[in-house]
Amino acid sequence: MNLWRLEWVRLFRTKRWIALLGVYLFFGLVGPLSARYIREILESFGGGVQVVLEDPVAADGIASYVSNAAQIGLLVSVGIAAAALTFDAKPQMGIFLRTRIARVWDIIAPRFVVMATAVAVAFTAGSIAALYESTVLMGSLPFAGWLAGTILGCLYLAFAVAVVAAVAGRSQSVLVTAIVSIGVLLLFPLIGIAPQIGEWLPSYLVGAVDTLVRGGEISEYWRAVGVTLALTAGSLWLAVRWAERREL
Amino acid sequence: MMIRTDGLSKAYGATAALDHVDLNVESGSVYGLVGPNGAGKTTLLGVLASLRAATGGSMQIGTDHIAVLPDTPHFDPWLSGREVVDLARTLGSSSTDPSRVDELLELSGIADAADRAVGGYSRGMLQRLGLAATLVGDPDLVLLDEPCSALDPLGRREVLDLIARLRGAATVVFSSHILADVQEVCDTVGILRQGSLIFEGPLQDLLVGSAVPRYLVRLRAPLDPVVAELRKVDWIQAVDIVDPEQIRVTAVSLDVAERHLVRALASADAPVVSLAPEAPSLEDVFLEVVR
Repeated sequence: MNLWRLEWVRLFRTKRWIALLGVYLFFGLVGPLSARYIREILESFGGGVQVVLEDPVAADGIASYVSNAAQIGLLVSVGIAAAALTFDAKPQMGIFLRTRIARVWDIIAPRFVVMATAVAVAFTAGSIAALYESTVLMGSLPFAGWLAGTILGCLYLAFAVAVVAAVAGRSQSVLVTAIVSIGVLLLFPLIGIAPQIGEWLPSYLVGAVDTLVRGGEISEYWRAVGVTLALTAGSLWLAVRWAERREL
Repeated sequence: MMIRTDGLSKAYGATAALDHVDLNVESGSVYGLVGPNGAGKTTLLGVLASLRAATGGSMQIGTDHIAVLPDTPHFDPWLSGREVVDLARTLGSSSTDPSRVDELLELSGIADAADRAVGGYSRGMLQRLGLAATLVGDPDLVLLDEPCSALDPLGRREVLDLIARLRGAATVVFSSHILADVQEVCDTVGILRQGSLIFEGPLQDLLVGSAVPRYLVRLRAPLDPVVAELRKVDWIQAVDIVDPEQIRVTAVSLDVAERHLVRALASADAPVVSLAPEAPSLEDVFLEVVR
């Protein structure tokens, strides 16, 4: 047993992977379905009222998935990441680990990498489901755009996990870590309301897959990618620095 | 010397948890840290383990191969006992032979439960598991915080034997409020009170230095005539009947008692079966010192 294997074991024995994969797969399957049949759904509840909507296109299925993944999926991801990254929540467990490693980074690195990978795999699985169902129900989508957009979405989620790691460096409560992390992540879209700023922020990557399957250019995301990578590294640096200073 | 601290202090705001502690722990010794609740024992162990930062003074520790066992160990509940000890082994020193895991599970008395999830362990079992995880990497310095507090008498016996066996192979500092445990396995004792180290030295020094001029005399009945005679002696402060065959004689000083007690008993025509100084227990001395 080592710290890397410990994290994979944590993910599987606690059944957290089911919650993670389940939520993204659910929205990956339901998103395109609701996009395709939204008119019929609204009419069935409208008591004979005719609903006029444009005919759905395949990209709407992806958009529906992304909007749900960015909300419910992110909440679940942050909660699960907080449970893994708040390693001092039980001080006795923190003592067990801290007195046996040379650097706090040795504890944080496997937790960050495993969580970021798990969240990215779950998001990609949901995205594959959304791609498949959108294609079957509404027509084909550009694969390259979908792939690039999904990778950018994964990058954003890795950033979100890094934010959780940083917050966990200051908090010894899983709940507080999760709530503060969500608060921090919600700040970015609020700041990004101004378009000139928004294009630079990590939150800009959330909708990349939707934009790119509609023919958008990947070049418009390079700035956000650069900032996201820098902020991810910065968050991990803070996570280590803050965790090192904590007394148990 | 494994540990030497010089004026080590730790304050939480205006409260001094440790107040200029000068600790000296010899390599290979078993050092007992005793003190009432809130005396600073856990804080001192935390500072020595670098889990807490000192706010004053300095410390020198002769190794960086330190293992710590908190008073209530806690592990991921979905790991098995064997996995916990194996994790401790790989984190401590990957060169440690994997067979040490089974060896320590056996020594700690939890081999039968080794493959069960630790979430189902009792507190006593967790303490045994914690000890196995602490010792598996063969650390040079072992810091144990109340290692027997949750154990039944049998478990306590086994853990104390395990600690005693470490003498010479590793340096052990352990805090305990069970003074009999400290008296049994420690060769050096430190007494903390309100963050200050008020005594440090060999256990024997503490006990001898605190010896009181009291003797237990076993007699054949009847005791009353002897007691009455002894109470007339001016250098005898008190004579108490302990049981139907034993009295306790308290003298004004050890010196006077050693010179004259036998003669006084003879003068009282006492049928003496045995005579011995009453050895103070660590508990007596501890209560005397911390008051």
